[in-house]
Amino acid sequence: MLETVLLTSVLLADSLAPDKVQNLDEVLIVSYDGRAKQRSVKGQAASIDEHLGELRNVNLVRRGSYAWEPVVNNMQTERLSTTIDGMKIFYACTDKMDPVTSYVESGNLQSISLNSGLDGNPQATGNIGGSLDLKLRKIGFEADPRHVNILAGHEWNGHLQVYGADAAFSGYRTYLNAGLFYRSADCYRVGGGELLNYSQFGKVNMFANAGLRLTEADVLEATLIFDRATDVGYPALNMDVSRAQGFISSVSYKHQFARVGWETKAYYNHIIHIMDDTTRPDVEIHMDMPGDSWTAGLYSLATTSLDLAEMQHDVAVNYDLYYNRLFADMTMYPGGAAPMYMVTWPDVGTFNTGLALTDNVNITANQSLRLSAKIAWQNQRLNNEEGYRGQKVFFPLMIDRYYQTTGRVAASYQFSILNSQFSIGTGWGSRAPTVTEAYGYYLNNTFDQYDYMGNPHLGNESAVEVNGAYKFSAQDFGIGLDANAFFFKDYIIGHLDSRLSAMTVGAEGVKVYGNLEHAVIANASVTADWQISSRMAWNGKLSYSLGRDDVAESLPLISPLAWRTSIEYGFGALQAQVELRGNARQTNYAAKYGEILTAGWNIVNLSASYRFKAATLRGGVENLFDRKYSAYSDWNNIPQKGRNIYLNLTIEL
Amino acid sequence: MNIRKYFKIVAVALFGAVLSSCNSNDDLGKVDIEIPGVTFDGDIDCCSAEEALQVYKFIQTVKIIPDLSTEIDGKYNVYAYSKTGSFHVGYNDIYFVVTKKKNGNYVKNFEFSGITPHMLMVKMNMKHSTPVSAGVESFNDNYLAVKHGWISFVMATSDAGSWTLKYDYSILGSTGTTSEAAITVDALPAGQQWVKSFKAGENTYYISLVNPTDWKTGKNAITAYVSKKNTPATTPYGLAQEQFSVEIDPRMPDMGNHTSPDNVALSLQGDGSYQGTVNLTMTGRWRIHLTVKDNQGNVVAGGDDLDEGYSSLYFDVTI
Repeated sequence: MLETVLLTSVLLADSLAPDKVQNLDEVLIVSYDGRAKQRSVKGQAASIDEHLGELRNVNLVRRGSYAWEPVVNNMQTERLSTTIDGMKIFYACTDKMDPVTSYVESGNLQSISLNSGLDGNPQATGNIGGSLDLKLRKIGFEADPRHVNILAGHEWNGHLQVYGADAAFSGYRTYLNAGLFYRSADCYRVGGGELLNYSQFGKVNMFANAGLRLTEADVLEATLIFDRATDVGYPALNMDVSRAQGFISSVSYKHQFARVGWETKAYYNHIIHIMDDTTRPDVEIHMDMPGDSWTAGLYSLATTSLDLAEMQHDVAVNYDLYYNRLFADMTMYPGGAAPMYMVTWPDVGTFNTGLALTDNVNITANQSLRLSAKIAWQNQRLNNEEGYRGQKVFFPLMIDRYYQTTGRVAASYQFSILNSQFSIGTGWGSRAPTVTEAYGYYLNNTFDQYDYMGNPHLGNESAVEVNGAYKFSAQDFGIGLDANAFFFKDYIIGHLDSRLSAMTVGAEGVKVYGNLEHAVIANASVTADWQISSRMAWNGKLSYSLGRDDVAESLPLISPLAWRTSIEYGFGALQAQVELRGNARQTNYAAKYGEILTAGWNIVNLSASYRFKAATLRGGVENLFDRKYSAYSDWNNIPQKGRNIYLNLTIEL
Repeated sequence: MNIRKYFKIVAVALFGAVLSSCNSNDDLGKVDIEIPGVTFDGDIDCCSAEEALQVYKFIQTVKIIPDLSTEIDGKYNVYAYSKTGSFHVGYNDIYFVVTKKKNGNYVKNFEFSGITPHMLMVKMNMKHSTPVSAGVESFNDNYLAVKHGWISFVMATSDAGSWTLKYDYSILGSTGTTSEAAITVDALPAGQQWVKSFKAGENTYYISLVNPTDWKTGKNAITAYVSKKNTPATTPYGLAQEQFSVEIDPRMPDMGNHTSPDNVALSLQGDGSYQGTVNLTMTGRWRIHLTVKDNQGNVVAGGDDLDEGYSSLYFDVTI
């Protein structure tokens, strides 16, 4: 039923009660009945980035007000896996302006699930920090026969508008979901009232999911998403985006054997990303920088439940393969002289195939074990001759074809006794270098002002993870401790090569990606919640992270001490919340890697929602005191929104 | 690419001709070769059919220079070719082919020498020459009947002056010097500077860059010749006898003067050329700054600092 559609949920295998680990759907429904914590206070009107921000262990790197890059356990895209219903999709911008989460809209989704660390979802590869899976919204068979959802929202700061409508039809043989969404904003004002230029964006999105029941045991499903963002400003960068367009499609076949569920999905997606600097004044040299990414793949997943040695095993076996092509080039137009052209991603074709196994074992009623493993093999070929020749200048011994084998294994054990739940886990996993890290060509990084060269001779990066959690729950009070640490070997990061000369005007020099012998990233958090009265609840979270390179200096983009606390009040159809969020001064900033100090900050948000029959009205004030601030993950410390009043209405029929 | 494609088309056309002529030929063991305007009459001064085919194929890849084609003693036609059918400032390859008038076939052995280009500067009424190859040699083993030389023009034809060219010939007993033919030397387009002069001691030298039009993004072989200006200046400038080495520093002036790694200085080779390696990391205009050193390692030219800090002696190449 659509009422139970939840836009976000947290699924951290190592922090959930043992009996909740195995089935995502089950968790969703449970989560929906729980406190509103796990969905954005803006409801469905929230952007996908705002939904992601509700997940534990997730931070967001912001380069503007659109297309934020999720960071899990203080690791960015290259150490994460992001899939859409298990489908691989790769961003097309050499400057990471388009994390793949930007090619869907919240209205397309039922939930976002996150597996922290090396225990990834079956389709995930290269997930050291975690794996995100965006679950598409599907009404399924024999649900509400008809369902219509209408959404309109406005935010005063930046005149952000959100409109959406989607409809669902469900029968015994067929179901269909389809929707259309529009979202746009002008430039926003930072705390104090100053306008932040180039922070506008516009986006349209449409989707359709359909299912056809062929027989009692056979189902066909198909998905189409078209997403197009235009005129997207990036105040933290030197250029904007004229068009970022994604086309996502899949067909899947499900068969239910007596004891085994089997799903095979084939998919194709294509992303076109076009940067634009023509609206910027004082452009030293005009550049065209388009990027193109397409991926075709399939996976085949079998799930079953077995009883072995009087223990219940929920087993999933997944085989997947995909082929991805990434091409990007750059043309620079100096006034009056010949254009300068180079290939920045040399049309890299990556063929990857992997086999994954997960086993959730219910040992006893209060003990469980989760095991997961994956092995993947990949072949990369540089299909663009010009790009290959260019890179060979820097790496004369390179070849145009590389092979990598990566894998991961993770185990976690949970047990609960009285009011306490414990979990411990460990894992090992490796990842192949990304196309940027291996073959990127003169990619300017505005974070540290260096040009980056990929290094085809890079080795795989690997990490050992250990994690532990403890949760105490009493009648109306709970406290949890959570910690994880990743010990890296051959950590991939840029190294200054003073021999090379920077191409980009104003760049400090050239960095070449290399493997650090070792590095460590660790995260710890304390959460507490207290049901003060039947109408009022309090919760709080404090988290601390650290990242150290091989000589114990700080790694970049590691969160400082962060806190978040809120009081919720519920009375009938009314829900209200006051929230305080803040970060301490980032004392451990990575000066060595070009990071600059970010000052501490605190902001207060108010929100309320009121439900009347089919309509839900949500409103609130963000950054109530109009503080001018930027978080550590705001690229080049661009300031966040100042005071923002929002109001949105959802009608479900 | 285009040339190769052209080769293929010619080869196919010829093969077709061969097949059709085979049908009418009683001697099945022999392959008939037909070249337009050429009669194979067994003249031992001229090419065999196979050799002639090689020459014919080669001249399809170059273009004739009409101003330099001439008739000798009423018996021979001399044809001169360059890549484009014209000359430009800087290094130009020049190819010669001689045919007998009576059968149109290519003469196997002939010698050209003393290529003498002259620039007459009208206003100053002064005449000077320009760097030329040491001699005119058979192009290579495949093309004995094609002779190759080069001329590096130091300036373009203009209102200020015009070029003439003459050379000595010796074709099967006919010897002499051609009359001075007027030729046109085109200026290079903007962003291309392929010949530069420098002074070392009392002498003036010219350094000519060979065919940078073949360069692509990536690693490229760079070849140049160093020629010495003669006294009097009307004598063509031959290769310098002094040995230099020339360090190269390629920069992109339109993009912050960034450079590329691992360039290899030009050093003197056995054939009189200077060779090195230039790495070009993208297309566009490259300014290749030069530092000329003598065989003691002393800087004799270039290596000074312009305003931006790079040598004032440079080639410009736009790829």
